[in-house]
Amino acid sequence: MTIPATQCLIRLHDDHHTLEDYQGGMPRWCNGCGDNAILTAVQRICRDEDLSPERMVFVSGIGCSSRFPHYMSTYGFHGIHGRAFPIAEGIKMARPDLHVFVNTGDGDCCSIGAAHWIHAVRYNMNLTVLLHDNFVYGLTKKQASPTSPRGLKSNTTPRGADLEALNPLTVTLGVQNASFVAQAVDWIPEVLHDIVAEAYHHKGFSFVRIIQRCPEFLPTMLEPWLQDPSKALLLTHENGLQLSSDVKRIYKNQLEHDPLDIDRAREIASSVDVIPVGILYRNPEIPRYEELRGAGQARPAERIRAGLEAELDRFTVWPDESVEEQAVA
Amino acid sequence: MTGSRSGDVLEPIEEGTLRPALLAGYRDLSRLRYDFPVVLVEGVADGGFVQSLSSIVDGVLQDVAPRGVEGERLRRVTLRLERELRALVHDGARGMLSDLWEKAMASCAADDDDVEPILAQAGAQLSVDGEVVDCDHDAPSRLVAHAWRATQQQKARRFHDEVDRLVQALSDILRAAFIHSEGGRRPESLRAGVGDAHRDDFDFDAMSRLLGRGVPKDELPAGRRVRIEWALDVLKRQRFFEPAPGPGLGQAEPPYEYRFSSCTEAAAAFAERLPEVVEFVKAISVAELEADGRYVEPRHDPFFEAFGEDALTPRDLALFPDYLVCIDAGHTDAAESGVLMEVLSSDLPVKVLVQTEDVLEESSIGSGHFGFGMRSAQLASTAMGFHDAFVLQTTSSNLYQLRGRLLDGLVYPGPALFSVFAGSAAPANDLPPYLTSAAAMESRAFVAFTYDPAAGPDWASRFSLEDNPQPELDWPIEELEYADEALRRVTEQVAFTIVDFVVCDRRYGRHFARVPRSGWNGNLIPVDEWLAVDPADVGERIPFVNVVDEQDVLHRLIVDAKLMQAARRCRELWHGLQELGGIHNSHADRLLAREKAAWEEERQRELESLRAEATAAAAGDAPAVAVAEPIPGEATQVAAAEGAVVEEDVEVAEAVQAPSDDPWIETTRCSTCNECTAINDRMFAYDENKQAYFKDLDAGTFREIVEAAEACQVAVIHPGKPRNPNEPGLEELIERAKPFQ
Repeated sequence: MTIPATQCLIRLHDDHHTLEDYQGGMPRWCNGCGDNAILTAVQRICRDEDLSPERMVFVSGIGCSSRFPHYMSTYGFHGIHGRAFPIAEGIKMARPDLHVFVNTGDGDCCSIGAAHWIHAVRYNMNLTVLLHDNFVYGLTKKQASPTSPRGLKSNTTPRGADLEALNPLTVTLGVQNASFVAQAVDWIPEVLHDIVAEAYHHKGFSFVRIIQRCPEFLPTMLEPWLQDPSKALLLTHENGLQLSSDVKRIYKNQLEHDPLDIDRAREIASSVDVIPVGILYRNPEIPRYEELRGAGQARPAERIRAGLEAELDRFTVWPDESVEEQAVA
Repeated sequence: MTGSRSGDVLEPIEEGTLRPALLAGYRDLSRLRYDFPVVLVEGVADGGFVQSLSSIVDGVLQDVAPRGVEGERLRRVTLRLERELRALVHDGARGMLSDLWEKAMASCAADDDDVEPILAQAGAQLSVDGEVVDCDHDAPSRLVAHAWRATQQQKARRFHDEVDRLVQALSDILRAAFIHSEGGRRPESLRAGVGDAHRDDFDFDAMSRLLGRGVPKDELPAGRRVRIEWALDVLKRQRFFEPAPGPGLGQAEPPYEYRFSSCTEAAAAFAERLPEVVEFVKAISVAELEADGRYVEPRHDPFFEAFGEDALTPRDLALFPDYLVCIDAGHTDAAESGVLMEVLSSDLPVKVLVQTEDVLEESSIGSGHFGFGMRSAQLASTAMGFHDAFVLQTTSSNLYQLRGRLLDGLVYPGPALFSVFAGSAAPANDLPPYLTSAAAMESRAFVAFTYDPAAGPDWASRFSLEDNPQPELDWPIEELEYADEALRRVTEQVAFTIVDFVVCDRRYGRHFARVPRSGWNGNLIPVDEWLAVDPADVGERIPFVNVVDEQDVLHRLIVDAKLMQAARRCRELWHGLQELGGIHNSHADRLLAREKAAWEEERQRELESLRAEATAAAAGDAPAVAVAEPIPGEATQVAAAEGAVVEEDVEVAEAVQAPSDDPWIETTRCSTCNECTAINDRMFAYDENKQAYFKDLDAGTFREIVEAAEACQVAVIHPGKPRNPNEPGLEELIERAKPFQ
């Protein structure tokens, strides 16, 4: 049997990856930072799904979390503050064949980028969005963010934050066309991995808020939740997460929740004392913007070449023409 | 083409235009920062006797360039100068580093006046100077000779220290004897012993009379005087080393030459100088005894009368300079080879550099029989067979990396063989010598290894293959990146085999044929995979190598059966070396398999018993503690194996995970926060899921475990009990560890 050359190449390329294959530079996050756990979870998913690095793009805004693309050996775009979503949407429109991840922080997404966030939810494009929520601006050394709890003392709120924190889950669930909303915590790595994997498989805007520790500026803020496993409410369902025996043994506070039930999802998302962990809402039926707009197929090399040729031809001086022109002159 | 089939679509290759695909990125070496050129630093005897240009420039920048943006311009300009200097050397310029630096500086300044003061500032920080050597035909001999000179200088210092001490001691004896002699008590001798200023204050005649009155006769016995004077004379007129600098003993004749271009010459010189060596060793021994006053004539005279060549020991010979012989392997005849073997089998301090220019030579038997690397392999294996000869085989590209081993061979008291492939046989390929020699090592055509008899009593200590790329594999695996037809980046793991090396060589073009892209199919498999298949199962599969043409377009060449046979033999030779080096050692593998099977059996029995106990506990009859005290790490496996049981009865699982005395980590709960690895990355490491486990409990202290447990964000580190009862501050640490048990 003869195999065409491209098939040969595809087969040659069809090899298995290790975690190191996805590792970009050495992370410069602080020791103890929850971003490391998120990075590991994402790399594990890439490896388990055997994703080709050149088929993936990580887009970020500004902040500690937004250094994420530097640490993935894939395509990446470290964007400007709050603008991760429009960049990611542009990439997805131009190259729907790529898997696009968005890494954004509580400041980047919920403050300066809030308008983009809301419309990105509404567009429901096939993006996997990881909101790294550490309740503070870490990169700029401790200023209050929209998710900082009331009373938090920071460099911008020395007498304590005046306002109640914004809840990214309820906001997302309140926007039209929300199709996947989940919450994870960095200190349960197995569940974090499973939730991000589910988000990756969801066809649409999958929004995962990941509550993470900031050991540098808020070292004790999440202590009560870390010390007491019962303060995490794990959401399970046959259409949602299935927990391993190890996780079940430690995190006994579990709740059966159908991810299609948006009203219940909003109720759970509003919990104050416990941190809900799991898939709150998932609806694969909601149409995606790129489908509605008929975003182009993956652009083959011929098409790109033809487009480039056409563009370059506009500036080409054809030898024959120039001779004729000279003759005329 | 492969000996069993032919094809119309195959195309002959255009010799000299193709190179292995993995070498595509190395067209212009002068633009790359790598080990060469090197600088032969003067006056340094340790590992710093040779330094790469890049490391010198890096050192200068570290000293003068401020960190951050401030030093950026200085760094950029200096690195530009380095590139210029590299290009100069590449074009054939030779000389001292300081001179070439000036030239390169002038060249840089010609384009941009502003850079001159910056480069002068960097140049002022150059703390070393020496000849600049590129990786060319002369590189191995120059580098080895330079290292040899450095070691000989050290030896000369030791020699002079020793000889000067003895000369001083013997001279003192003679001087003391004179002072006590009648001659020494003469008025003029006494006068000579007093300074000018006070010479007139004394009556030396009276002094001489007084001193001579009642003094017992204490003359130096004539025999002893003759002996001492003879020894002194021998020590002073030695021709083995240059006289020590400064006001010294003087030397009547020029020193001997110790560098030769053939072993025959070296052996002849050794034989000619041997009587002098014997005489000198005898003189030293006599001087030692005389200096200590332990020379007993009845006992020592007969011994020294019979003192001859047989009395010489390797320790005696180690005092003298080592002979250095630099041989070109292509120009050695049978007689020379015979002497070389004799030299290597002796105890003589002879260091032989055998430089090979061509490892792909055709066998002298003819008829296209390949003799790839045979000559050097034979030489090195014979030398290792002598057991007492130091052997270092490497390529010139790697000489800089192996400079430490080179020094080991030079200071080794016995014979040493340095077999180096220089890769400078120009007609065979168009690659620069550096690439040719690097490719030879990478492809196992010329393997690097060391046999150091001084390293220990057994092969495990003496023999090392570790300087080869990926020594545990048959062929090194490298990453090949290229753009496919759709202009997407493709990364492949590609082996670099001897066939890749042969492809560079014009003489073997007839063994390859190019397959047009339309002919690429599933039957084409890479050479390494083809070699890994049992010859009986090869079937329709045809081996190929990836090559690029001058435009860097990827092609595939299929390889004929004859060459594949040679490749298979090369791999077998490599396997033989691997066994010697303890890699995939068949004896060790068999033993390991046997022990592993026994261990697995034992482990299975333990697991079975734990399962039985867990099931009993789940039934509620037995108390939960009945299955406590598991072996750490196994607890989880038992739990996993018995998932159904554990899920039904959580209490049992908890009991199974009860802690033991050893520290342990709940690896699956680790959140990869780097706290523990930052404390001790030899003790704590990440597994394939990037989650922490104890890699080596002996690599750290209980204190570190406790600190890691305290730092761990998710409290998954359980310190257990201290393993070392003598560790300081244990009481406090045990107290701190309690919350994490």
